[in-house]
Amino acid sequence: MTWSAPIWIYLWLAGMAGGAYLAAFLGSRFAGREQKPLLPMATIVGIPLAVVGVLLLVVDLGSPIEFWHLFTQFKFLSPMSMGTWILLAWVFIGVIMVVLWWFDSRVAPEASASMKKLAGYLSWVNVFLAVGLIAYTGVLLAVSSESLWASTLLLPALFVASAVSTGVAMLIVSAVVVNRATSEGSSLRVDRETIALMAEADAIVIAIELVVLIGFVIWLVVSGATDALGILAAGSLAAPFWVGVVLLALLIPLALDMAARGKAAEGGTLRTIVTSSLSVIVGGLILRWVITIGGQM
Amino acid sequence: MAEKAFLYDATRCTACRGCQAACKQWNENDEEIPTVENGVDAVNTGSYENPPSLSATTWVKMKFTEVDRNGRLSWLFTRQACMHCANASCENVCPTGAISHMEDGFVLIDQEWCIGCGYCVQACPYSVPHKDEHAGTARKCTSCVDRRTSGHEPACIKACPPGALRYDDRSKLLAQGQQRVRELKAAGMSNAYLYGETELGGLNVLYVLDDSPEVYGLPETPQLATKNAVGQWLSGILTAGLITALPFWFLFKRKRELETSQGGAR
Repeated sequence: MTWSAPIWIYLWLAGMAGGAYLAAFLGSRFAGREQKPLLPMATIVGIPLAVVGVLLLVVDLGSPIEFWHLFTQFKFLSPMSMGTWILLAWVFIGVIMVVLWWFDSRVAPEASASMKKLAGYLSWVNVFLAVGLIAYTGVLLAVSSESLWASTLLLPALFVASAVSTGVAMLIVSAVVVNRATSEGSSLRVDRETIALMAEADAIVIAIELVVLIGFVIWLVVSGATDALGILAAGSLAAPFWVGVVLLALLIPLALDMAARGKAAEGGTLRTIVTSSLSVIVGGLILRWVITIGGQM
Repeated sequence: MAEKAFLYDATRCTACRGCQAACKQWNENDEEIPTVENGVDAVNTGSYENPPSLSATTWVKMKFTEVDRNGRLSWLFTRQACMHCANASCENVCPTGAISHMEDGFVLIDQEWCIGCGYCVQACPYSVPHKDEHAGTARKCTSCVDRRTSGHEPACIKACPPGALRYDDRSKLLAQGQQRVRELKAAGMSNAYLYGETELGGLNVLYVLDDSPEVYGLPETPQLATKNAVGQWLSGILTAGLITALPFWFLFKRKRELETSQGGAR
């Protein structure tokens, strides 16, 4: 198998990093600018995830030392070339944003206004790059001759929905960890309402992902790619598909988030939300696995 | 430089597999290492057809197909190797530009520049390139560019005893192929077909077949991997930008409105 574990782990990590950023950006914008901790959290947690993913990719190359050949080309038709540049730009700008935030909060509060402004502009650039990044993780596979990947136009949609869902889940888990580690009043804390709202938003994204998955399956049947579908639904990958994707990534977290809906995110409800998020994250990894491996069988 | 091509005439091929051996020998490609399971070679199995598929070190192989034609068994041969497509999926997706067309129309992977990412392996509609873990690159038929530039025929063509493989200007081979297909049709083989004339913008390997491509296991309408690239990008971008953005708009905006109506608690 040409594309094995490093590839699907990378697709999962990059999707989660970009999805978390997109979700944090949208949440912060729509809720007003005071939702401060979300975007830095998504950036600070997302960058290492993306970088680890890239390292996996480089190690998986036949000639890892020559990875720089990638940076000699800019090919619109090659999703891998586009993805290389998108990822590079997203990480680069993300690092600048982190530095600006750090300056703003610690080093030079008197220069704060202009720093904030610049970080604000960059956060807009990076949200477009994040959209490109999570779309690319699906496009990479879809632009190919493997029937499971290329027979429909819905694989990128599926991976994007999963990326946003796993990204939100990662934000929730990060927020809970940060809240535990910091004392009351810290500017890093994420309030309980926001955590509950994110869980609610994730439930809707998961519902969208479920609809996309059903559409993907129907489209595979219509386009005659029933062999490829058979491997997932009834073949050697049936167990991880039904348990990992359908249950862990979709139905279980959907049920848990619905149960937690409308309640304050504390005690048992918070545990329910975190369990749901962990299920989403593991399910997202299994989705990348069965699709990446299944397409090459 | 005139566009060059190979022509493979399935009706003349005896499946001696001299081409397979000559290719291995000239290109110094190793044999398929047998994996012995229960005392039997698990790689080179089955019929006369072996190895079972192309690999990083098998760049051409004969494929055998048995077909029932009105109660009579026909044993069909065809050639599996790089088709040197005019619209080459591998070239389009290659992120380093290591894959390119030479002036004469053949497709070459630059072994010095290839980084072994494996994308061409996934993109090729004929499953031709394979990643060589040892060399760290993707490898396939080179059209024996090294032989051709010094005035020799490609190894497989030189080795073919019945003249089922030819190398010449593409326009000449196209005319010969069309003529041969007309003859076959006149002889009653109404499905006879010249494969490669128009597929993927025209292949630089032409196939004279006495039946439809499908019978020979060739895709009738091979697709360019990048054909739907724009649609695939839109699928991802629209889902991200519109559909998954909706719940955040809906929920977080409501939160803001609630807070504002409560007199700006923050």
